[in-house]
Amino acid sequence: MNIIALVKQTPDTAQLSASMDGLRLSAEGGPRIVNPWDEYTLETAIQAREEHGGKVTALCLGPPEAADALKTALAMGVDEAILVSDPAMADSDSLTSARILVAAIRKIGRFDLIVGGRAAIDGNTAATAVQVAALLGVPLISYVADIGSLDPEHRTISAVRLLEKARETVTSRLPALITVVKEINEPRYPSLIGIRKAARASIPVWGCNDLELDASTVGAGASGVDWKTELPTTREANVEMIDGGPEDAARTLVDRLMEEKVI
Amino acid sequence: MLTPYEKILFAVVAAVSLYLASVTFRRMIRTIMRGQGRLFRDGLPGRVMTGIKALASQNNMIRNRPFVSLAHTAIAWGFILYMAVNLVDVLEGMIPGFAFPGEGAAGQAYRLIVDLMTAAALAGMAALLIRRFIVKSPALDIAPQVQLHPGAADGIRRDSLIVGFFILGHVGFRLLGASFDIAIDGPDPWQPVAALAAGLWTGMEPSYLTFGLHASWWMAIGLVLVFLPWFPYSKHAHLFMGPFNLMTSRDRSSPGAMDDLDFEDETVEQFGAGRITDLDRTHITDAFACIMCNRCQDACPAYATGKELSPAALEVNKRYHLRDHMKSLAKDGDDSEPLLAYAMSESALWACTTCGACTEACPVGNEPMFDILAMRQNQVLMESAFPNELKGAFTGIERNGNPWQMAGDRMEWTETLDFKVPTVAENPDYDVLYWVGCAGAFDPGAKDTARAIATVLHRSGVDFAVLGNDESCTGDLARRAGNEYLYSIAAEGNIETLNASGADRKRIVTGCPHCLHTLKNEYGTLGGRYEVMHHTQLIGDLRNDGKIEVKEEEGTRATYHDPCYLGRHGGEYEAPREALAAARPSLVEMARSRNRSFCCGAGGAQVWKEEEKGREAVSDNRFREARETGADTLAVGCPFCARMMNDANKRAGEPMRVRDIAEIVAESMKA
Repeated sequence: MNIIALVKQTPDTAQLSASMDGLRLSAEGGPRIVNPWDEYTLETAIQAREEHGGKVTALCLGPPEAADALKTALAMGVDEAILVSDPAMADSDSLTSARILVAAIRKIGRFDLIVGGRAAIDGNTAATAVQVAALLGVPLISYVADIGSLDPEHRTISAVRLLEKARETVTSRLPALITVVKEINEPRYPSLIGIRKAARASIPVWGCNDLELDASTVGAGASGVDWKTELPTTREANVEMIDGGPEDAARTLVDRLMEEKVI
Repeated sequence: MLTPYEKILFAVVAAVSLYLASVTFRRMIRTIMRGQGRLFRDGLPGRVMTGIKALASQNNMIRNRPFVSLAHTAIAWGFILYMAVNLVDVLEGMIPGFAFPGEGAAGQAYRLIVDLMTAAALAGMAALLIRRFIVKSPALDIAPQVQLHPGAADGIRRDSLIVGFFILGHVGFRLLGASFDIAIDGPDPWQPVAALAAGLWTGMEPSYLTFGLHASWWMAIGLVLVFLPWFPYSKHAHLFMGPFNLMTSRDRSSPGAMDDLDFEDETVEQFGAGRITDLDRTHITDAFACIMCNRCQDACPAYATGKELSPAALEVNKRYHLRDHMKSLAKDGDDSEPLLAYAMSESALWACTTCGACTEACPVGNEPMFDILAMRQNQVLMESAFPNELKGAFTGIERNGNPWQMAGDRMEWTETLDFKVPTVAENPDYDVLYWVGCAGAFDPGAKDTARAIATVLHRSGVDFAVLGNDESCTGDLARRAGNEYLYSIAAEGNIETLNASGADRKRIVTGCPHCLHTLKNEYGTLGGRYEVMHHTQLIGDLRNDGKIEVKEEEGTRATYHDPCYLGRHGGEYEAPREALAAARPSLVEMARSRNRSFCCGAGGAQVWKEEEKGREAVSDNRFREARETGADTLAVGCPFCARMMNDANKRAGEPMRVRDIAEIVAESMKA
């Protein structure tokens, strides 16, 4: 099976700081991590390969520093990693990003399954992977919490979607694109052997020329959406310790919450 | 004494025995050499003395199990003496007229000592056989939840019986020989026990007596010749492999200090121990030195609380596996069987608190804890298979510099103090660097301790500073959880920060024994050499200098729980007691204290994961003991002990007050 894992590098939103340039990635913008949802993406893709054989290619669109995210992907166990990066692509909106990714996927060639995370924690549009599926014209199964069966021979996939109040089993032909939620698996911690392999691996970087894209069709200029992010200002919080046994403490807590009109 | 035919027969039997022994001993040595690292020889005279001292004094034994140790001492001293006795007996047998050391006073003394030691060794051996086979001491059992080599339970019994009868036979026939001698040559007041036995032969024909003398000689010496090649296959090899192990082990900066792994060397393809040949040579030697006495098991907190771990079973399983494969291993044969298939279960591997009680208890210097740590390294670095909860702690250290994954301010704990705690940037000429630790910065309970330590420092006029947000996890938990790579990154970062802050020229004080142990004993090999003290040690210095006065608080009784990383790993038992006694004069000790202290259950990264399944929590077991002292205050000196004991206290309905010594001292300091 040829599997493509869509990976994004994001800021560590647990460590937002005023020195960051909004939520955009910048060199001094604080620690950057693999988009946490994409850890599940990678685990899903690797597990599928472990079961059915084939190859996993991790594909990432981002600035040159985003190669670090692909190093993590390689350390976890993907076979190949490709970074799509070009200064002209900066600040592409989700649709433009999807167009770039589709160009890269076409360059990769044959694929049976594309996996993405349910969203990226920075932009949180949950749109890019959906748009990739639409542009490629392949079925989409979003919010996948379990892959019931994956059958490369009969070219079908059956997956369980986690909806707000239900679980829905969807069967589709392959190739297809799925987006996964964190209930699907437990991402592996890269082994040292994986880290060393990743350190030695070379990651090809594809720019506009490689993808035969006109620079004017990508980046902020080609995007219909612009955005501005404000970091939350720190709020003054009062800490009040409630003493007493569990029952007394619970009673006091309820009283206090009602006083504050929280409940 | 021997006839010419007997002499020829002896020469033949001895030659065959020595040849076979050379084969099996070489097999054992080659098997040991399949391991990693080396057997240590530097400072050889001192090493030899260590071995001789341990063998002659039996000191490592006598600390525990006094009666068994006494019996063992009788046998051990008997055997040491018999090395000479056997030589003398062989020479007397082979050389006509040879008599050592003659008939004079020296001979009398020799005969008396041999006679009495023979009796003592026989009595000791009989006592140990009775203990094992008649009384069936439960200390010799390994609980059923522990993984054990299928042949081990019966094998140990059989081996013990063979060894027991070998010793009884060897020493007993020597005694009978002496008794026939007396029956032939007449009474000898210098051999009272043999003389007593000679009474058995009264009235026997001289030819029978001579036959008895020869038969006894052959049995006494012959048993040694028969047993000699078998040694590498018997746990009795401990009699020389024990001292050998003590002589060739690694000198560590502390009993728990781990060795660095080389991550630069690209040719290294195995990190940690997946298979037995990945273990250090010194740790393969451990298995040959082990007599399977279970003393380590007695001391193990995981075993005591019903987990699947027994350090004794680990050594037994290693030994039986080696026994099964020694021939092939010695010939460079491949051993692909993973240690986790036979040495211990995965649950056992992750049940170890790295408290060091097993290595402390072992009379022959075995280090089962280090096998466990090496196996954890294999699980994390090679297999990426470890308890899932640890991932969060690892990621926290990687991204946030603390295992709690807290993104907050490391100085927040200082905000409620009525004085300012300066950072190194604010006070670059400090005298003492206070290493707060992640617990002190983020754990609510430990923040109280951190404030108490800062208060003591402030009130006693110590010019100190903290690293603030430049401080980062020392990596202790990553290292003990097998993530040596993460530890090395954490360590290098901290060493850079500490050296840039001039801490290498100052004193460091910390409230966390885990940080203390790592900073003091483990950073050295990576270029970080620091003088590090526990806060109770600094309190001691300040009291000696008259910088602080502590009021005695009467009417409360306190007991003190030794943290493993301050006590066994750090060798400090007195400073905390002195600091505590200044404020709480009536200190009551728990039964298991000082080097026999029982772990709180937090160490070895346990606090970052669910406790492995067992009969009870380690912390509950320890807390019960603290409570049984009748003390109202449980004093601790480690934020993780504090947390474990606090939790146990809560589960028990809060019958005690759990306080760090720093808090107790700060409360009772005269303002």
